[in-house]
Amino acid sequence: MMDVTEFGHAVLAGKVAAGARAIRWLDDGDSRGAAVLRSIFAATGRAHVVGITGPPGAGKSTLTDMLVAELRKRERRVGVIAIDPSSPFTGGAILGDRVRMARHTLDPNVFIRSIGTRGQAGGLSRSTHDAALVLDAMGYDTILIETVGVGQDEIDVVNLAHTTVIVGVPGLGDEVQAVKAGLMEAGEVFVVNKADREGFEATLRQFELMLHLREQSRPEDAWSAPLLRAVANRDEGGGAIVDAIEAHRTFLKASDGFERRSGRREREQVLTLLRAQLVAEIMRGDRAASILDDVTARRIDPYSAADALMSDWRQ
Amino acid sequence: MLDDLPQRPLRVLLAKLGMDTHTVGVTIIAHALREAGMEVIFTGLKQTPEMVCAAAIQEDVDVVGISTLSAGHTRHLPKLARLLREAGAEDKLLLAGGVIPQEDQPMLLEAGVGKIFTMGADTRDIVTYLKAWWAERQAAEVP
Ligand code: B12
Ligand SMILES: Nc1nc2c(ncn2[C@@H]2O[C@H](COP(=O)(O)OP(=O)(O)OP(=O)(O)O)[C@@H](O)[C@H]2O)c(=O)[nH]1
Ligand SMILES: [Mg+2]
Repeated sequence: MMDVTEFGHAVLAGKVAAGARAIRWLDDGDSRGAAVLRSIFAATGRAHVVGITGPPGAGKSTLTDMLVAELRKRERRVGVIAIDPSSPFTGGAILGDRVRMARHTLDPNVFIRSIGTRGQAGGLSRSTHDAALVLDAMGYDTILIETVGVGQDEIDVVNLAHTTVIVGVPGLGDEVQAVKAGLMEAGEVFVVNKADREGFEATLRQFELMLHLREQSRPEDAWSAPLLRAVANRDEGGGAIVDAIEAHRTFLKASDGFERRSGRREREQVLTLLRAQLVAEIMRGDRAASILDDVTARRIDPYSAADALMSDWRQ
Repeated sequence: MLDDLPQRPLRVLLAKLGMDTHTVGVTIIAHALREAGMEVIFTGLKQTPEMVCAAAIQEDVDVVGISTLSAGHTRHLPKLARLLREAGAEDKLLLAGGVIPQEDQPMLLEAGVGKIFTMGADTRDIVTYLKAWWAERQAAEVP
């Protein structure tokens, strides 16, 4: 077995097996993952991270497959992270997104990884950010992150990605309603997929209206989100979508927007890690366990329990 | 709820090779493994041994499971085993299931297939086998 430094070098050299194993460690919370991450972090920050999100069955995987094909035409090396839900009861999962991306399996410049949510809400897994860093360090130019099928507020991907593509489809009735709260505000590229389906024009008009309202509430120099159409299972519309994705990258690069966005997610990650460490530290020991038992038995309320644990820990 | 679950779920790739379109068995296995808390990566039909090998490495699975009912097993499975070895992935368990006549089995096991389950196999036995294999593997890994 290689040591961790050698492993870091292998990841930086783009070795597929090493990158894949590093992602596994990070996904499993194995401490070797963090060690590898330390050794590769300085080389990250180059890749363009693109989120693909929308309701279940909208065609996110099929669209991702089409975008990979289009990016490959432009000679980009592409990493894909495809997230599917884990069962909240068993922790198991059936991860099937890559079925739709099979034609890229043997392309040495494409890396596809399926990840289960493992209890995380928000449309991603806890490990998604770290997995994207590994792919970045391996030298993939564009990293596409397909979220689970999302509803109202599962929009964590917008905090992770430089550019987020929102995929809508005709025929879900109130699906514009469903994405309104978070996604309509956050996305940078809007795609109505399944343009071959009945109801497409009506859905497109709904999106137009929402985007128009959104534009009005934004400053003039803000990014103006394009609305595009696609028939992903026939490879139609990919060129314009990749044009828009890359135009947004250029837009971010024209200011310090690109670095600011990645910086924001690294800073957020520090806080996330700190929270986990602090909680683990505070909860160590029998006394913490007995305070929790007191809460279960309703002898003490949660607020007082938290205060007690904090003051114990400070001493 | 989730706090009680194992931190490291077993990851299993399930695939079908060539023109074999019998999907019932592989679907049953996928659900059984999911119910047992495993992560199943399904690659779909019409795979080649090369594709399965590439996907197994990208996904860093522990187990590669092939469901084969249309008589391709004597060609495909030894080839897949060889590709995995050549890729340095021989630590992954290669499992096979489906219609695999008794007389072909010694040759497949010899070629690198770890275990074979045929028609009528109880999914609980498959789960038990995998859990035992995984426990043994993890115990061996502890430094
Ligand atoms: C249903 C069926 C079909 C359906 C399939 C529908 C579908 N979407 O799946 C249809 C009608 C489409 C079909 C078509 C054909 N079939 Co057909 N079919 C069957 C049949 C009757 C049952 C298969 C089945 O679903 N079993 C139920 C499942 C649950 O069992 P299973 O798949 O074996 O899975 C179990 C175990 O094997 C194991 N397992 C399976 N996979 C895996 C994977 C892993 C990792 C593990 C651990 C375990 C495991 O666990 C499961 C649970 O116990 C079999 C007969 C038989 N006795 O198997 C023939 C059979 C498989 N078919 C056969 C043939 C020849 C064909 C055809 C070529 C033409 C024809 N003559 O009908 C076509 C071609 C299809 C193709 N291109 O592949 C032959 C194959 C002969 C051979 N291998 O030498 C069989 C054996 C019939 C026979 N006796 O001749 N078929
Ligand atoms: N008619 C039509 N069907 C499409 C189109 N794009 C995708 N599909 C089909 O829609 C179904 C779902 O596609 P997926 O790509 O799996 O959708 P998804 O959004 O990734 O699904 P989840 O990951 O389960 O949320 C598949 O049967 C696709 O073939 C399209 O443009 N038109
Ligand atoms: Mg999908």
